[in-house]
Amino acid sequence: MSGVLAIYRKEMLSYFRSPIAYFVVAVFLLGTGYFFLYNIFMTGVGTMDETFQSMGIFLMTVTPVISMRLFSAEYSAKTMELLMTLPLRPWQIVLGKFLGAASMLLLMTAATGVNLIPLYLYGNPETKTILSGYIGFILLGLACLSLGQLFSALTQNQIVAALITVPVLLGLWFVGHVQSFQNSYALRDFFGYISLSLHFGDFIRGLVRSEAIVYYLVVCAIALVLNSAYLQWRR
Amino acid sequence: MHPAVQLNSVSKRYGSRPIVHDLSFTVERNEIVGFLGPNGAGKTTTMRMIAGFTTASAGQVLVCGFDMATQNHEAARKLGYLPEQPPLYDTLEVSQYLRFVAAVKGLQKSEIPRELDRVMSACRLETVVRREIYKLSKGYRQRVGLAQALLGSPDVLLLDEPTAGLDPGQIQETREVIRSFGAQHAVLLSTHILPEVTMICQRVAIINNGRLLAIDSPASLQQASEDSNNVALEVTAPAAELEQELRSLTGVLAVSTHPVPARPGVLRVACHVDGGEGAEARIARAVASRWELHRLERQQPTLENIFLRYVAQGEAKGKGQQ
Repeated sequence: MSGVLAIYRKEMLSYFRSPIAYFVVAVFLLGTGYFFLYNIFMTGVGTMDETFQSMGIFLMTVTPVISMRLFSAEYSAKTMELLMTLPLRPWQIVLGKFLGAASMLLLMTAATGVNLIPLYLYGNPETKTILSGYIGFILLGLACLSLGQLFSALTQNQIVAALITVPVLLGLWFVGHVQSFQNSYALRDFFGYISLSLHFGDFIRGLVRSEAIVYYLVVCAIALVLNSAYLQWRR
Repeated sequence: MHPAVQLNSVSKRYGSRPIVHDLSFTVERNEIVGFLGPNGAGKTTTMRMIAGFTTASAGQVLVCGFDMATQNHEAARKLGYLPEQPPLYDTLEVSQYLRFVAAVKGLQKSEIPRELDRVMSACRLETVVRREIYKLSKGYRQRVGLAQALLGSPDVLLLDEPTAGLDPGQIQETREVIRSFGAQHAVLLSTHILPEVTMICQRVAIINNGRLLAIDSPASLQQASEDSNNVALEVTAPAAELEQELRSLTGVLAVSTHPVPARPGVLRVACHVDGGEGAEARIARAVASRWELHRLERQQPTLENIFLRYVAQGEAKGKGQQ
């Protein structure tokens, strides 16, 4: 585990010693702040439902900015040669990096808590629904990051990594909408099950379903395992 | 005890393109081996296979007895590796970077500060400890790369062109670091700089087109090339007569003369002689008895000549096989 921790610490140092982290957090907070104010003033209802929905889509474009550099930057700086020749197993590199990116996500999520202050001061929101929304948001973010990290391992160009990740995430987000065009029940279920947004919708409504939790965790696990296997195969 | 590095019939191909063919050699403990070859000879690929960055397509790479194909993790613990381009994280400070590598190498938290001091003083990095790596000059970057390889005193040190980009003073210091490290550990050092090999390596491996052409001590390689010695002289004499005289001497294989610029009448002569005894003495007697001899010296074959000869022989052999 010490290898994972060393990679994690290095990742966190790299985030905060470059402008990326500050920039991503700032843009994310600006965006979510705008969604929050817009929804509150437009609907006049003191909930986070609409805000979470907007934050979810926003995440499809923000997480690739965090994940695109995870491996691409290592390839282009030739530091992958160091990582792969140090006493580290590929899964340790993958997990350390993922935990670093997940910490960034948690930090961003925690920072959106500032929106809750006026909500609780001037309204009467349902705490359990908000908590469930946040759980869903974090799980959704983790799944997006794991996929982004996998695509980052496939290319040494960060822009290409982001350009692969964004359409894949948006595709998985909107694939739920294809459901209504299907006559076959099996296909409807399938498109519903692989949709990032439909599972997230449950959390926003206050439903913490084990099926949805398992879905996001399975996406993470598949992406991280493929990521490790790819690094091993690259040798 | 296992050799520090052992290659058994190692080959590497990328797709259908062969890079390294059937390479076998060993590096013993407490030995510095120089790895010589022209660009594209397969040096970096071989280094990468030993370091575990790429796997061999065929054959076996053993580091301290651990098979790189199946015991990569154990072998990596025995290795310090400086790739051709130092693998550095530009946004980190030098000490943060070295601390990261030390932690991954499994050094105890309590021993890391001491170990950092040791490698930073060996590589003369004390003045840039707190500097971000992107602000460092090429020479310092190279030395930070060397410092990370030295961390944890690995049993085997692999250095791919460690003195590239350094100024003469830094080259001297780096050689000293490698020499002192090699007194107790195994070092495999790839380089283009031939005098470097003669200065610090106990043995030299010459490689071209992915094939090992020779491996021996620099002195033995030079000895083996004694038959291709040259004798150089400067004489005031008529060119045709001098050439005729020299060609008639026993042991002289070929003669070429060139006038010395700004010294009218003086010729610079290169005599290609065989390995027999007394060639210089015969030439000196013959020339001095008739003309004015200014200078005469037997030229030892330089490692450069030996290297070029082996490379040329290897290419000729390769063409013959085709």
